[in-house]
Amino acid sequence: MHVDLWREMRSSPAGIFGMAIVAIIAGLAVSAPLIAPSYREIGPVFSPPSGEHLLGTDDLGQDIAAKLIHGARTSLMIAVGVALLSALISVVVGGSAAMLGGTYDRVCMRAVDAVISLPSVVVMILVAAYLRPSLGLLIILISLFSWPGGARIVRSQTLSLRERLHVVAARAFGASRRYILLRHIVPDLGPILVAIMIQDARRAVLMEAGLAFLGVSDPMMVSWGRMMKQAMSFTYLDVWKWWLIPAGVLLSLTLVGLSLIAASLERAMDPRLQEDA
Amino acid sequence: MLEISGLRARYGEHEVLRGIDLMLEKGDSLAVVGESGAGKTTLGLSIMRLAGARLEGNMVFDGMNLLELSDEEMRRLRGDRMAMVFQNVEDALDPVYTAEEQVCEAIAAHNKWSRERIRERARALLTAVGLDEMRYQLYPHQMSGGERQRVLIAMALANDPDLLILDEPTASLDALTKADIVELLRSATSDRISIIITHDISLASALSKRMAVLYSGMIMEMGRTADLIREPKHPYTRGLLRSFPSMNTTKDLQGIPGRTIPRIGGCPFHPRCTQRIEICAREVPRPEELNGRLIACHRGGIVPLLEIRDVCKFFSSFPAVSHVSLTLYEGETLALVGESGSGKTTLAKIIMGLIEPDSGEILLEGERARWDAGFYRRVQMIFQNPKESISHRLNVLQAVREPLDVQRIGSEEERVARAMKALESAELSTDPEFLRKYPHQLSGGEAQRVAIARALVMHPKLLIADEPTSALDPSVQAKILRLLMDLQERMGLSILFITHDIALARKVSDRIAVMLRGSIVEEGPSGEVLREPAHQYTASLVECASICTRMAWETHVLD
Amino acid sequence: MAIHMPILIRRCDAVIKMDLIWLSNYAISFLLILILNFVLPRMMPGDPLHAIYGEEALISMTPEMEAEIIKRFALDQPWHAQLITYITALLSGDLGYSYYYRTGVTDVILGFLPWTLLLTGLAFVISSSAGVILGIESGYRRGSKLDGCMLSGMMFLGGMPDFFIGIVLLLLFGVTLGWAPLGGAVSPYAGHEGIDLVLDIAHHLVLPLISLVLVQIAPTYLLTRNAMLNTLRARFIMTAKATGLGEGAIRYRHAGRNSLLPVVTAMGMRVPNMITGTLFLEIVFSYPGVGTLLNTALSARDYPLIQGVLLIVTVTVLTTNFLVDMTYVRLDPRVRYAR
Repeated sequence: MHVDLWREMRSSPAGIFGMAIVAIIAGLAVSAPLIAPSYREIGPVFSPPSGEHLLGTDDLGQDIAAKLIHGARTSLMIAVGVALLSALISVVVGGSAAMLGGTYDRVCMRAVDAVISLPSVVVMILVAAYLRPSLGLLIILISLFSWPGGARIVRSQTLSLRERLHVVAARAFGASRRYILLRHIVPDLGPILVAIMIQDARRAVLMEAGLAFLGVSDPMMVSWGRMMKQAMSFTYLDVWKWWLIPAGVLLSLTLVGLSLIAASLERAMDPRLQEDA
Repeated sequence: MLEISGLRARYGEHEVLRGIDLMLEKGDSLAVVGESGAGKTTLGLSIMRLAGARLEGNMVFDGMNLLELSDEEMRRLRGDRMAMVFQNVEDALDPVYTAEEQVCEAIAAHNKWSRERIRERARALLTAVGLDEMRYQLYPHQMSGGERQRVLIAMALANDPDLLILDEPTASLDALTKADIVELLRSATSDRISIIITHDISLASALSKRMAVLYSGMIMEMGRTADLIREPKHPYTRGLLRSFPSMNTTKDLQGIPGRTIPRIGGCPFHPRCTQRIEICAREVPRPEELNGRLIACHRGGIVPLLEIRDVCKFFSSFPAVSHVSLTLYEGETLALVGESGSGKTTLAKIIMGLIEPDSGEILLEGERARWDAGFYRRVQMIFQNPKESISHRLNVLQAVREPLDVQRIGSEEERVARAMKALESAELSTDPEFLRKYPHQLSGGEAQRVAIARALVMHPKLLIADEPTSALDPSVQAKILRLLMDLQERMGLSILFITHDIALARKVSDRIAVMLRGSIVEEGPSGEVLREPAHQYTASLVECASICTRMAWETHVLD
Repeated sequence: MAIHMPILIRRCDAVIKMDLIWLSNYAISFLLILILNFVLPRMMPGDPLHAIYGEEALISMTPEMEAEIIKRFALDQPWHAQLITYITALLSGDLGYSYYYRTGVTDVILGFLPWTLLLTGLAFVISSSAGVILGIESGYRRGSKLDGCMLSGMMFLGGMPDFFIGIVLLLLFGVTLGWAPLGGAVSPYAGHEGIDLVLDIAHHLVLPLISLVLVQIAPTYLLTRNAMLNTLRARFIMTAKATGLGEGAIRYRHAGRNSLLPVVTAMGMRVPNMITGTLFLEIVFSYPGVGTLLNTALSARDYPLIQGVLLIVTVTVLTTNFLVDMTYVRLDPRVRYAR
């Protein structure tokens, strides 16, 4: 499969839109210490939006806008961390299962099937309820439940790549497994890996928000999900308009942005889907 | 019943059909043949209005103009009055329904019958197409290719259509199954209009009375199937027939040079045509009818290159050649077969103007041959003994450029360049060492190739080859013959192949003329002449050749 | 793939073998959860009773209760004895003791489960059928304006987090407009009966149901549409058209039916996602199902109850998956025979 992902993405309006959203949010996240350094400062509680507090203050008297920007930071770190870690596990498990085959392959695939059919969010809630995970632990935890889908895709892709003529040809002149894996298979896995990572990132952002919404993650972490949970307790006040809704909208935008990128990637890789203009 | 005129089909900017005219009555069967991409399937789908292309023109079926009907009216015709049998590809049948269910559905689409009656009819149909009763309840993936094809046929016949279109109905079937299906289709196509879309000439000849040859969305030639196959008049038809393996032709397979170039001006075939002239690239030829044959060609089909009209030659009252008339067409090989002394070589020499005939005339491209420089530019000859035909004082390069020197064609450099090219065409080396060799230093095969290169250097249209290989070893002979056939395919060279060996003639010629005591006793397509020789002499020649083969076989194999 | 008698016999073996593979999958998943449930609390620092029940629970417990629990779960025994006791208790339906509700976990969960099943079941049926129908229609009209609008709308909806959709609907129709109740499954103390009760339940159900359907419809729709685009390319569609079948028959009997196959396979994958979504929406709408129970258990740190919820949810998910697999076998003759 020869796909110029970058070119395909640029030619799809949905993809451009998605990338723009994600780029803006990532920009916010990266520059958070510069544009909102004082998000932990405490002032008057429940003050409505004003010049000083763009979106007012919450029940602790902290600036909501500043917290939102720092929430983006959490989401971004979770997204990147899980995407990298989970994709790594997917490649290692899926790739080795396909290359080694036999009993090892069967065992791996049983494990994949088993984890996939679990209600992973609920399991994670239980584990999180015991462990109260910090950012790093959360990344590991989410990755542990995200890799099987990717592993399955990597495995089938590797299997089909392995049968491609140029790989067979390389084997025919005596190339080692290592050589084939690194020179022929991993590079060709590139596009599909990008797609898997985007999907993993999306799941991770959603999971973190969900766990925080349930209040089972580290309370010290600033998170859109936790902000929504706190705001939910004050729906009888007007504060939800500049507290709950912006947090939800930011979360939704991030997720929609990632979904759009994923969808246009899928389109780029499946020529059969490309015909609708 | 079905009249199509000026049918054009366009997918976006790409015109797949460019003006098709067809007229079919009940009982007619028409085969549409051509290479892939010719627009055959689009034609079939366009008649059913399923092509998804923009259609223009007129299609009148039973008084209704199909292009003016509403979608719903068209739907009611499809599967009822007109039906199509598709190629048996893996997913031609819906994988989730059984054979019987799919036939039932085809019936129910046009009849408000009871469930029982529909089932009964479906079962009768499946029996009629020869599907085993045990197999009615099977799903497509459980059936063999032949069985799926039978189900597809049953679906098409479900409502006894007046028009049946068959799209490659036997592709991907093994030979025996194919024979069964052809038998079935023969009876299915009788008594209706049928259109058979195929690239398989043998299928076309088995199922159709008429045949249309499609190229780049145009009908190049149309006529009775048997005539078309026996005597193709369009260069494309001949190319197509030559590329198709058949039990009726004996000549080795040849291809058509180049490949289809879409969206080209003028005659779509002109880039691949060896007899093209200037107008071919400019104007689209209009189909014209001649003796019940429709041909779209600016030159009126394959042109006669050489015509020999009633030529006689007496050597002191002994008739060496008596009343010989022969026509040699562009790009074909005519084998002149006869024993020594039958007058073959005399005839060749008359053609070449080396001997003057007592009566009769020779025409080259429709004009009386004047045996001037222009004549020898178009007609060249190679002889039985190549070494003798080349002067022993000339080396290879000098020999090959000799004709150019004689005719004073081109400058010094041009002559060398053309000689080199001719040597390459004859698959000879062009390195200086070889160019300096003299005839006695060459092997028999090399010498004959030099002779061929020398003939080619003039870019002739006609090559007269008088026993060109009889002095050569068999392995060398095979290579020289292959070379001649390739040159013919590439340049459209016509060859008058003179030989005493009918087995050899069989492999290289399109037509055979048998000469006996100065007269032509039989002439026709090679396959026909060999299978059913009309003249006693021919029959004995064929028999001798077979006896020789059989005896050789018996001595060496059965020993 | 012709079938002859010996193959026929082997074929039955193959089908049974496939069933066994599926069943073993479910068994492995179930075992994973059991192990997690057993090991996780025992891995925590401190004594098991402490770890399993947490600080808060122990404060409210009397020494007699503690002794009773230690005895019941063999917490003073080595771990293999604990495991045996744990499994035996599970087999008799004993999921432990909820200190918050002061009764057995099983009883508590059974009290909340029906509402969750009602909500999830309805949402599953509605979102799947609507997703399939919209997907078929949209795919059939590929490239049209309607298709374009539906596609972008669905991509947008599918990207949204489920609980935020619920929150927006709640704020709009519940808080601002006051058309729907703010929580619960029935009006408390209203004493409705018969048809009134049904209407009351429906009134409480409508917002969570709509939110859930909105979120869940997108994946089914997108998958069906993709499958349609592929199916419409198949040759049998041309065969059906040439047979003169009506648009409806081609769209549903042929293209739709065949596009359903990958959709049904994916439905099994969607069940966990679906149940998770239900749990979150229940919390948003304070709907008295397992999700709300989980939320309560989480804030009360009632660990046995959390574990019980996890176990019940897992069992539900695995059962639905199994049913989906069975449905698939019925739908696709290629799997039913000759595998």
